[in-house]
Amino acid sequence: MNLCRKPNLAHFAVTIIGKDRTGIVADTAEVLYRLGCNVEDSSCTMLGGEFAMILIVSHEKPFSKKQLEAEFATKNANTGLSAFIRNLKDDEVCYRGPEGELCLISVYGSDKSGIVYRVTRELADRGVSIADLNTKLIGTPADPVYVLVLEAALPTGMAVEDVTNLLEKLKKELSVEISVRLITPVSL
Amino acid sequence: MAVRNIVTYPNQILKTPCQVVEQIDDWVRQLVDDLVDTMHAGPGSVGVASPQIGVSLRVCVIDVSKNRHGKDNNHGLLLMINPEILARSGAAVMREGCMSVPDYTGDVERSTELTLRFTEPDGTVREFEASGFEAVAIQHELDHLDGLLFLDRIASLKTGLFRRKSYK
Repeated sequence: MNLCRKPNLAHFAVTIIGKDRTGIVADTAEVLYRLGCNVEDSSCTMLGGEFAMILIVSHEKPFSKKQLEAEFATKNANTGLSAFIRNLKDDEVCYRGPEGELCLISVYGSDKSGIVYRVTRELADRGVSIADLNTKLIGTPADPVYVLVLEAALPTGMAVEDVTNLLEKLKKELSVEISVRLITPVSL
Repeated sequence: MAVRNIVTYPNQILKTPCQVVEQIDDWVRQLVDDLVDTMHAGPGSVGVASPQIGVSLRVCVIDVSKNRHGKDNNHGLLLMINPEILARSGAAVMREGCMSVPDYTGDVERSTELTLRFTEPDGTVREFEASGFEAVAIQHELDHLDGLLFLDRIASLKTGLFRRKSYK
């Protein structure tokens, strides 16, 4: 995805989270639409019973974070939704896709603490960059199973097999299953 | 010999089903040549369909032989006029990108084995079975002939794996 800063636009990161109910997205989109903001990029999902929205929005200058905050404060009063807004600088808006291979790593096993930490630390120490990550607690209350799925961009020169080997010892140590597969897009 | 410009969405020709080629003449053979040149000019491209160069006819070209996913299992350069899928089986997900939809990729489920029939520029009717990456590429290009983009077929991995559950 190419999202490059246009000089006449101000960019903001907006995070909204609150107890799930029907209409959170519509209410948020309405605020942004009425203010004349564009939703440039977004990801919204249910996490537990909470609905969470992360959006990159833009507006023609002049426009301030305060205007956004004021509008959300009014709209979200008494709704239990919280909004956090941050100004984005030029270098935060320009995005360059990863150059190395993309892989999907799934990790699952009996629930225990440290799965996310150990896996991501191992990857970070080798320069592997995480592009997307989801976790879920599944199974039964008696036998909870933890599932972690992440998409990672490998540094140039690193192959999927290298990642598999890298995570092999964690597999034994944490008693979890780990599989790694290539998902680098094919150009058709 | 001509490399043609790639048409990108929202050009509506990409969403329009293509006409069947009634007669293979020099104009159609020139179209096939242009498709091949355009495919070779696209970085890493393994196929181009007519609507991608602005012609709404059921013609496309495919060559996965130089791609790492297809180099061990392919039929070389395929010049396809009025191609049809006669049978399909299997399913696999691959992350696809398309020259007509720049800067976006998505996971698409495709059949892994196909039986295919098409006419070549010299009038020969060919029928064969394709599998693996070549089968994926064929389905992607044939979708173009039906006015479909990979965006019409995106399968979200996340919602597939994690069914929503009630916490209440």
